[in-house]
Amino acid sequence: MTGEIKRMIDLIIEKRLNGYEVLKNTTRTKLIIKGFNPDRWTSQSEDDPAKIAELKQIARDMGIEL
Amino acid sequence: MASSVEQAVDDIKGQFGEISPNLVLFFASSRYDPALISRGMHDAFPGAQVIGCSTAGEIASGRVLKDAIVAMAFDERTVSGVACSVVTDVTSPDSLMGAVREIEEKIGAPLRDLDFRKYVGLILIDGLSGAEEHVMDRLGDLTNVVFIGGSAGDDLKFQSTYVYLNGEAYTNAAVLALLKPVGEFGIIKTQSFRPLGITLVPTKVNEERREVIEFNNMPAAVAYARALGVSVEEAPKRFMHNPVGLVTGDDFFVRSPRKIEGESILFYCMVKEGMDLALLESTDIVADTRKAVEEKVRQLGGASALINFHCILRALELEEIGHNEAYGSIFADIPTIGFSTYGEEYIGHINQTSTMLLFK
Repeated sequence: MTGEIKRMIDLIIEKRLNGYEVLKNTTRTKLIIKGFNPDRWTSQSEDDPAKIAELKQIARDMGIEL
Repeated sequence: MASSVEQAVDDIKGQFGEISPNLVLFFASSRYDPALISRGMHDAFPGAQVIGCSTAGEIASGRVLKDAIVAMAFDERTVSGVACSVVTDVTSPDSLMGAVREIEEKIGAPLRDLDFRKYVGLILIDGLSGAEEHVMDRLGDLTNVVFIGGSAGDDLKFQSTYVYLNGEAYTNAAVLALLKPVGEFGIIKTQSFRPLGITLVPTKVNEERREVIEFNNMPAAVAYARALGVSVEEAPKRFMHNPVGLVTGDDFFVRSPRKIEGESILFYCMVKEGMDLALLESTDIVADTRKAVEEKVRQLGGASALINFHCILRALELEEIGHNEAYGSIFADIPTIGFSTYGEEYIGHINQTSTMLLFK
């Protein structure tokens, strides 16, 4: 399977923005610092279970329901 | 430059005049006893939240200083609300959450619910704790409010650094301050580097030691030296002028190499495996900073105050090339305080950067 990581990253960014587009860069930077560069994941990226678990934890830490 | 804490505090109090501050921010050389300076400043301004830290150099409007204390007072015309707390152990997630909850209780709302356009946070953190990344990461999870600040210094002794809150001095700690400015505010993150078009990807790291063991599947020191076309022995001489930057779109967050150990490189900042790190080359700090400040002041339509968290490595470079006066002159027309930090905070932990908070 592919694309789950990209979907999760996009959802985290979308929910974090809460409509404020100006927060997009900040949120992307936070994810890059955590090791998830949104530009490096695509709909063709393999669903790595370890990375998916990491992203689930990041979402929880940010108070976001995926 | 006062010789005693008492003289210094009296001098500051005199210069503040009749203002009734709700917040006093100060940065003090490590030559001043931490307990005495924190107590002295607090006692001088009993109606205010008084926060500060030890430094590796100070900045006041138009001047770059050493062995000094600089301070700035805010009153209700500038900051309508301020809530402070201390993270007594920066290595403990529970301690951080305790400090966050204390601020939330004081303002009566979770940080998560605050309007990032109306609030801004300050953070002053122990510069030798190695814990800045974790603290900034967690704060960034909890809120969209920007926390900006610096890592405390100790005049390059690298023994102990202190943060100050309301008369107490803390080490291995951080002070958080949540501010509600009355008017607009702006943030600057400026660094003086350009990418060389070479990417180093850490392929083996020890995050807690801020250690890169391998870049591009090669011993880190070898890969770094090869990228610059120098020998491993010569590589440390290039650290200051050729750090690396975590690429974040059009911008980058600088990570500065500290030393070579075996074939690893130890950094002043954590890096993770798989990050794209651009090899950088230094540019003109004075010109770049002047441009960044002028642009932000123009955007804001003026600046009534500026707080500058200025990396010690930038300060050392400016001193080495005799540009301290030129750097200080950038801030001559804006009421400014700042200090030379052991690291800068903005979204994350950064090196060789200045982060600044400006008030319209």
